[in-house]
Amino acid sequence: MVRDRNLLQVQEHEQPILWKVKFSPGNSSQLSNQCRNSVQGKLLITDELGYICERKDLLVNGCCDVHVPSTKLFSCESCLPNGCCSIYEYCVSCCLQPSKQHLLERFLNRAAIAFQNLFMAVEDHFELCLAKCRTSSQSVQHENTYRDPIAKYCYGEYPPELLPV
Amino acid sequence: MKPFSSMTMKFANIWFVLVVLLLCGKKHFGTRLGNSSQEAHICPGCSRLTLKVEFTSTVVEHEYIVAFNGYFTAKARSKFISSALKSSDIENWRIVPRNNPASDYPSDFEVIQIHEKQKDGVLTLEDHPNIKRVTPQRKVFRSLKYLESDPMLHCNETRWTQKWQSSRPLRRASLSLGSGFWHATGRHSSRRLLRAIPRQVAQTLQADVLWQMGYTGAGVRVAVFDTGLSEKHPHFKNVKERTNWTNERTLDDGLGHGTFVAGVIASMRECQGFAPNAELHIFRVFTNNQVSYTSWFLDAFNYAILKKIDVLNLSIGGPDFMDHPFVDKVWELTANNVIMVSAIGNDGPLYGTLNNPADQMDVIGVGGIDFEDNIARFSSRGMTTWELPGGYGRVKPDIVTYGSGVRGSGMKGGCRSLSGTSVASPVVAGAVTLLVSTVQRRELVNPASMKQALIASARRLPGVNMFEQGHGKLDLLRAYQILNSYKPQASLSPSYIDLTECPYMWPYCSQPIYYGGMPTIVNVTILNGMGVTGRIVDKPDWQPYLPQNGDNIEVAFSYSPVLWPWSGYLAISISVAKKAASWEGIAQGHVMITVSSPAENESKNSAEQTSTVKLPIKVKIIPTPPRSKRVLWDQYHNLRYPPGYFPRDNLRMKNDPLDWNGDHIHTNFRDMYQHLRSMGYFVEVLGSPFTCFDASQYGTLLMVDSEEEYFPEEITKLRRDVDNGLSLIVFSDWYNTSVMRKVKFYDENTRQWWMPDTGGANIPALNDLLSVWNMAFSDGLYEGDFTMASHEMNYASGCSIAKFPEDGIVIAQTFKDQGSAVQEQRSRTAGQAGVCGCAGFECESRSTCRASHTTQQLPEKISLEVLKQETAVIENVPILGLYQVPSEGGGRIVLYGDSNCLDDSHRQKDCFWLLDSLLQYTSYGVMPPSLSHSENRQRPPSGAGHSLPERMEGNHLHRYSKVLEAHLGDPKPRSLPACPHLSWAKPQPLNETAPSNLWKHQKLLSIDLDKVALPSFRQNRPQVRPLSPGESGAWDIPGGIMPGRYNQDVGQTIPVFAFLGAMVVLAFFVVQINKAKSRPKRRKPRVKRPQLMQQVHPPKTPSV
Repeated sequence: MVRDRNLLQVQEHEQPILWKVKFSPGNSSQLSNQCRNSVQGKLLITDELGYICERKDLLVNGCCDVHVPSTKLFSCESCLPNGCCSIYEYCVSCCLQPSKQHLLERFLNRAAIAFQNLFMAVEDHFELCLAKCRTSSQSVQHENTYRDPIAKYCYGEYPPELLPV
Repeated sequence: MKPFSSMTMKFANIWFVLVVLLLCGKKHFGTRLGNSSQEAHICPGCSRLTLKVEFTSTVVEHEYIVAFNGYFTAKARSKFISSALKSSDIENWRIVPRNNPASDYPSDFEVIQIHEKQKDGVLTLEDHPNIKRVTPQRKVFRSLKYLESDPMLHCNETRWTQKWQSSRPLRRASLSLGSGFWHATGRHSSRRLLRAIPRQVAQTLQADVLWQMGYTGAGVRVAVFDTGLSEKHPHFKNVKERTNWTNERTLDDGLGHGTFVAGVIASMRECQGFAPNAELHIFRVFTNNQVSYTSWFLDAFNYAILKKIDVLNLSIGGPDFMDHPFVDKVWELTANNVIMVSAIGNDGPLYGTLNNPADQMDVIGVGGIDFEDNIARFSSRGMTTWELPGGYGRVKPDIVTYGSGVRGSGMKGGCRSLSGTSVASPVVAGAVTLLVSTVQRRELVNPASMKQALIASARRLPGVNMFEQGHGKLDLLRAYQILNSYKPQASLSPSYIDLTECPYMWPYCSQPIYYGGMPTIVNVTILNGMGVTGRIVDKPDWQPYLPQNGDNIEVAFSYSPVLWPWSGYLAISISVAKKAASWEGIAQGHVMITVSSPAENESKNSAEQTSTVKLPIKVKIIPTPPRSKRVLWDQYHNLRYPPGYFPRDNLRMKNDPLDWNGDHIHTNFRDMYQHLRSMGYFVEVLGSPFTCFDASQYGTLLMVDSEEEYFPEEITKLRRDVDNGLSLIVFSDWYNTSVMRKVKFYDENTRQWWMPDTGGANIPALNDLLSVWNMAFSDGLYEGDFTMASHEMNYASGCSIAKFPEDGIVIAQTFKDQGSAVQEQRSRTAGQAGVCGCAGFECESRSTCRASHTTQQLPEKISLEVLKQETAVIENVPILGLYQVPSEGGGRIVLYGDSNCLDDSHRQKDCFWLLDSLLQYTSYGVMPPSLSHSENRQRPPSGAGHSLPERMEGNHLHRYSKVLEAHLGDPKPRSLPACPHLSWAKPQPLNETAPSNLWKHQKLLSIDLDKVALPSFRQNRPQVRPLSPGESGAWDIPGGIMPGRYNQDVGQTIPVFAFLGAMVVLAFFVVQINKAKSRPKRRKPRVKRPQLMQQVHPPKTPSV
């Protein structure tokens, strides 16, 4: 069963996109005490509940150890008012704040065509934040340079601030 | 802003017909000189030809072959021999004249007759420093026998054309591809007898053994980032999803590249791929015009992460390792557990041509070999150049595999054969996909453990250095065994440091170390299979072996503070201890490092996993050579692409406009380095300002093609150094602001003009440096062939000497004036946005920007126009100046206006002989009469009436310069940086000794190969490629391996095989000539309009 996606074909139909993102409180895979998390971090990691912790404080079930004082919930440290953060894991944690849901929905409704492949495949709030915070075509100027080399991970509606190279 | 942000790639299409016969039977080689025979059974489907070569030899009395350690003229050879024999009073000898065309050229041997005291003569000859060995002359009688030879009609049908497929970053196509090395196929075509079944690459690598065990890639998600795939291609059974990330409205492959790549990975019929049941995810990131952008990749990579792709093949690359958004994204990808396999590039055989992202530590970078285990000429060579000038490059590629004449899926079905590292990469990606499906504990598979398994199992190719082959040739079955007994751990690449081991550890093995030399840096990559992040616990320990003189060296470390993702570096600087300043011998010891990662599995108590790795070290120490023999290469003042637009030194090279090979003695100045070594010079590299070296140690400072500015402190220090006896040789290059303005180009993305920041070299800066000696280069721009001291020379976009002291010696030549011929830039009609490459132009090869800038070829276009013009001829252009500084004990200075004759890239004629003469002058004060008495000598120019070149107004050199910083008004020098300081590790001596062969030591811990059994497969596998070198030979097929051929220490037997090989080839051509009479001549097309790939073998191809 081949699934074909061509972003430009989607554009032609001009029909509202049916996002499958569910912002269910308590999140989806929480049936089993296991957490999905942001996987990639060098020093930090964010779990799907919105906790950010040091990698060494990650429990075997994939969740942050909430008893460690340095673990924080929904932390927006390193994030600017424009919704861009300098550390990916904080971006994800901040994005997972329940209050960010409206912002994300607004973004989805006008998501750039280039993102439809990506965001149509996203299933829940956590996946959306993981994907939204990543650098993307919106993060660069002249292709090989970041618009803002510091605050480049954005959960918000706008691309990073365009700084002179 | 970075002018040349594009990462481009080119699919070149020069292809040629290579009639290949594949040797597919057993080969038996005799190993003893005297009576050898070789039989070549040719494949059963075709006719059979057995060739028997027999020869015998006898010693010729009184005659000896004297082999020299370099190439010398007849005169020099005769001088060496006579001076040696004179010392033992032998007079009755003569050189046996050789009357062949080659005798006009320098040679490395001479045949002599000695009629008295032969034994003494031989011994004294052997003592001469320039003589390598003396062997008795032999007369060889040989005969060829064909045991059976019919016209091999069947084989005609299986001939296949081999096409070079290039994904080079910069358009270098026309000249270098067309008339340059692509036609220089001598090495390939004359190599040996090949046999004609196109290879089924999966079977050749024994994938069928794993298939028989039930592994077919099922359950593994593999992504192909390429040109797409058509919907109902008959070869694929499990295409999960196709996505398009380009601005073209299609998911289909209009070129064939993506189809071929996908086929090598997962085709289920005809030309079979490795993992037919894998889940294929097709990402179309290239348009049919082969256009692609970093931003498309960023979005597509994000989707791959979301889709939890296991293995990703990227058969593209480019030189821009400073494209941070892209490099960061690749790190992010591997950090999310995507095993990334990428092509190392098709820019070989030049060194320093690795492509990104294959050059990254977290990526498996794949080079290409042919089915005879030769490194493919096109395969890019190491080292990485990220670390220059202060550090030293890493070993890459990681592994090599078949990339030449590999068969894969055609665009609509059927099979075709293609070449390129684009082909080698999916071979590894397919193998990796298959391997992943064999592993029961999938949580143990990650980018690091897979890479560890591949490199620990790879088969080293004999006679090939690590910058060409990495760890060797992919061995699928051994990788399977290792992976299936794998325990998470750290490992090192390379896994040992034997600086005496040649040729594998080239360039280290090419020059011993000594007290007072610049520290030798080995850049080791740490792979950490325990977790995406890790660190080195405490510090690495240096443990010298006292019985093996380990205390004669000192070792310093620098290393990644955090090993992420899955990897990091450990740079080891090695120096000779002062007490060994006049010692000669071998010193050994080892470095121990412990790597830790946070525990990821259900381990009981500890929150950390650790792994301790031992890195054996072995070096050769010699007494410090005299100052005159020591040459210092200035690396610090080299600037290159990326990041800046530094134009090529040869303006004719329109297809390769950027200076991107690092300009290091082990990259594109490798031939020069080898030459200097063969002449007995010791060459060291200065990666820091002139203020950071002790000039009293060196005879000559060699500055070639310098683009950087100089700190005022450097200028002062160099003056003092030269007064005190340091000599200086400068090979400059062009700098002409009007030409620089004309090779500017308009960039569609950034909507501005891009201008080079220097010319080929930075002449205004050099002139500042030289001004105290009343010397300067001009802004002239000359080219032409000429003869100097009876050597053919070529001047390729060089400058002239504008000013030189009166008592110096200056040589002039007649040239064409390139500068006057530069035509005004025409306004460019913009092609469609996003077109990178050849829109509107006739290009011989298309290119693809991986990144933005769409118009890279514009400067080339201009230079092409420039050079099409009629040019004025200028006489008496001063190009070479030699000068003795008048102060007591002062050094000498030599200027030459063009660096192209020393640079391996685009060199037309080398001028190593000139460098020799100049070094004779600078190091020993010997003025070569050929120069001092040259008829081209002229009065040194006074500089009057010439205005010296000024720095181009508005240049952005300060953005890339280590010396300048932006200022209101003109950029100003920064404050002089501190010189690098190494803190030597405290030795922890051991009373141990190491085995003599470090390579054989265990590469991964806890791997028990016997534990993972394979089904018996040998009986029914009649023909498998002989697996390469040494080692256990567990998978060597009996009779398939040629005795001696792959033995590391074959020594004297190699020439025998070379000779036998030559005879076989000869016989082969005899047969071919006979055949040629009965068939139409095959075209040898040189494709002008490139396509990504050609349908090389029409669908009539016999399928398997």
